[in-house]
Amino acid sequence: MFSQQDAKNIIGKVISYSKLPDCLVSVDWTEDVFIRFAVNGITTSGYTITQNVSISSSTDDKRTGNAQVTEVSDDALRRGVEQAEQMAKITPPNPENMPALPPQEYPMLANFDTYTAAARGDLLIPHVKAVIEQARSKDLVAAGFIERTANAAAVGNKKGLFGYHTYTDAEMSHTVRNRAGSSSGWAAQSSVTLKDLDGGAAARISTEKCVRGVNRKKLDAGKYTVILEPAAVGDLAGLLGFSFGARGAEQGQSWLSKKGGGTYVGEKMFPEFITLRSDPFHPKLSSTPWGASLLPNRKMSWIENGVIKNLYYDRFWASKAGKEPTSFPTELVLDGQGSSLEDLIKSTDRALLVTRLWYIRMLQPKTSQFTGLTRDGVFLVENGKVTDPVTNFRWNESPVEVLQRTTKLGTPIRVTGGETGTQIVPPLVTTEFNMASVSDAV
Amino acid sequence: MSDAPNILTRRGFVAMTTAAASVAAADRLFGDARSSSTKPDPALERLGAVALAEARKQGATYADLRICRYRNQSSGFRLSPQRGSNITDEVPFVFDDQSFGFGVRVIANGQWGFAASPNVTPEEIVRMTREAVGVAKANSAAQSEALELAPTKAYVDRWTSDFEKDPFTVSIDEKLDLIHGAALSIKKDPKVFSASGSLRFHSEDKYFASSEGSSIQQLIVQSYPGLRATAVDMKNGLSRSRSYKIEPQSAGWESIPKANLGENAPRIRAEVLEALAAPPVTPGKKDLVLVPSHLWLTIHESIGHSTELDRALGYEANYAGTSFLTTDKLGKLSFGSELINVFGDRTNAGGLATVKYDDDGVLTTKFPIIEKGIFKHYQTIRDQAHLIGEKESRGCCYGDSWSSVPFQRMPNVWLQPGPEGVNLNDLISGVEDGILIEGDGSFSIDQQRYNFQFGGDAFWEIKNGKKGGMLSRVAYQSKTTDFWHSCDGIAGPGYWQQFGAPNDGKGEPAQINAVSHGCCPARFRQVNVLLTD
Repeated sequence: MFSQQDAKNIIGKVISYSKLPDCLVSVDWTEDVFIRFAVNGITTSGYTITQNVSISSSTDDKRTGNAQVTEVSDDALRRGVEQAEQMAKITPPNPENMPALPPQEYPMLANFDTYTAAARGDLLIPHVKAVIEQARSKDLVAAGFIERTANAAAVGNKKGLFGYHTYTDAEMSHTVRNRAGSSSGWAAQSSVTLKDLDGGAAARISTEKCVRGVNRKKLDAGKYTVILEPAAVGDLAGLLGFSFGARGAEQGQSWLSKKGGGTYVGEKMFPEFITLRSDPFHPKLSSTPWGASLLPNRKMSWIENGVIKNLYYDRFWASKAGKEPTSFPTELVLDGQGSSLEDLIKSTDRALLVTRLWYIRMLQPKTSQFTGLTRDGVFLVENGKVTDPVTNFRWNESPVEVLQRTTKLGTPIRVTGGETGTQIVPPLVTTEFNMASVSDAV
Repeated sequence: MSDAPNILTRRGFVAMTTAAASVAAADRLFGDARSSSTKPDPALERLGAVALAEARKQGATYADLRICRYRNQSSGFRLSPQRGSNITDEVPFVFDDQSFGFGVRVIANGQWGFAASPNVTPEEIVRMTREAVGVAKANSAAQSEALELAPTKAYVDRWTSDFEKDPFTVSIDEKLDLIHGAALSIKKDPKVFSASGSLRFHSEDKYFASSEGSSIQQLIVQSYPGLRATAVDMKNGLSRSRSYKIEPQSAGWESIPKANLGENAPRIRAEVLEALAAPPVTPGKKDLVLVPSHLWLTIHESIGHSTELDRALGYEANYAGTSFLTTDKLGKLSFGSELINVFGDRTNAGGLATVKYDDDGVLTTKFPIIEKGIFKHYQTIRDQAHLIGEKESRGCCYGDSWSSVPFQRMPNVWLQPGPEGVNLNDLISGVEDGILIEGDGSFSIDQQRYNFQFGGDAFWEIKNGKKGGMLSRVAYQSKTTDFWHSCDGIAGPGYWQQFGAPNDGKGEPAQINAVSHGCCPARFRQVNVLLTD
């Protein structure tokens, strides 16, 4: 493990080599154990160590150069500093460059698990075997991925700022398909500890979806009430989080911009029960004590009881706006209402139950319109019960409007979406979801 | 270096970087980019031998070691208004990132194992080789079938991609001057909200040694220029962007002047303002004329990914997906009209996936993927070729880092030009009601590469055979084989360009791949056009 003393040594050396007034150093170190499997057998797997030392040097007149190296020999670090500083000297001043931060009081986060950090393939393989055995028992074919990481991150600068943090993470996802290629099921789990993963439990979900998914009904494209499972909600919440930038909102480029100028901060745009916030202290999230600006990470509400509460202000934009900087909207939590997914299904007359979303791309940032597809299980819900499997759809939708039309929320869990990373989100029911065309893909 | 002047001369900067570079281990190992040697550096070969000997000692039946050094340098400007005013801030940026390390891959007990480290020393190579063998042996507990590698010759060689001038020897201030001038030109009209531009250069030094006798050193240099403009209509709540899409290439600094940034900046300025005021498209079935800066991405998503063998066999089922092109369709399926001839090719000049040997140590090649509309061949690597009865790999193996497991990645996949003499106007003149699309925009395709929806960067109406004004809010939606069957015209060889991207994603842990897709303008009949927002 990359220790605090290792971090201090590297940061100290870099700063000692630096000749310019400002020198910011960040070090990231990761030990990764992973196994990939497909066609009911392990395919590729590995044990890797990676590290990066990022150096950002600045002059008094705001000229900045940035270099990154992976070698940590004295020669290599000296070379990295020289590169950053020479680039700084020949680069024009950056009017958005902010002064170096003094020492910060970073919060303590408890997201390092020694069991996970020590785990090797022998602790991962039983989960893989559990998935493959369940798939084989139903004559299905499994493919998936399991990984655990142990991470260290450190920052320091010439003003005496220093931070060091270690954290772990574990995730497993897999897909089970039938041999005819006419049905597919998926399940995933992720946490800061490997102990929370259970390959057998996840495989029961994926195999059930795959078995139920045969003989899919072809429904017309159109607008449907949908029940989005947490993995689908996670991607939409993540995309929404990315759009909270104050600069774009104030300069007319976002859904948070009002026509003619101004923003929707302080206005109620969502139902009362919608609260979207960042919580770096959530015990299931692999957060660091600092965000991109290196200010201490803190809790922040973006939408509170339906009202737009805050925008993301980096240090520069905050200084111009006369506001406090805010953390970037990550470590997102969409609060729930306590119902289980089964409760949501039981209370719905007719809807499409959607497992997860795929290949989401922005159509128009100004209106927060995206396109994407459903994947690995769409089912018809009728009179409170899951009935027929249904073909996939391409959808064109806005996560803003999806939350505005949401009628019920379930209980939040941690999900790792296909597009936007990790969130804590519930399943939800929303109306008028625009399924734009049928997708025959399985 | 402390007494260097505040603004270095260009010569001074080059001298400094050369001197500094001489001290890092990676530079000592990989040597001079312009070396005329046809053999790998002996120091690299000695490290390779360490891994291969240890793998043999630990019982591995196959081993390869890759030692890689990557460099990414990007510089540029963003010109955008200050908060609450029309005064423009000019924000420069410059990054120079290097990554150096090794990865060792073994087969033991019939199973792959892999380990990687940034500490390139003999001791660490021994340690990680043991780790890789340990991983392989542990995994054999959940093995489905024993691995089988398609045969390849052993090569001892050194190869460098084509470039005239090493872009890393060009000073940062020359690069910033060029982008600054182009961005200023775009921003000249105060109605343009923001302008930005960048020059990114990428190099890969790779050494490969295998237990089958190969020892290969390669250097790849790639260049990625770009310009972008954004216009905002606060009153009506509209925002539109326009990019100057420039062919990214496996090439050096010489490709940058050819991009004519200065001449194209005023065009981008005019077009972003026209786009802001452009009327929305009327949705419905329309003919499309797609030029190479747009069509490359449609080729990539619908042909490039659907013809990957690992997808067809289910190896990517959990992430990137499978393919509608199941193996029973090989040699039979009518993929498109008879005009459609497509090649997989890692040998073509300038292609981003062009290299002499792949990361399996296989000599790369050009092979037909689609011939006269019929699907002919998959993209393959050594451990999968036998699964469809093929005797050799088609050289499509790549790992995006020393710390990444090499696997099947896309070669350059390009569309053969139409007949000599067919020009863009010929395609346009045959359209009564259609749209010409330039540049790439939003793109999305299903996990079997069948249902897709693509936007673009700029759209022009075609009415009664004439190109008219710009349109807005356009996307088209189709199914892969329907779309390629609707192609009834491809312009001649003089129009061939190869656009591409550095960041095609696939695999778990996720990896990227740089790939080009050469093509000429082509016409597609009666495609479903949508109004997007």
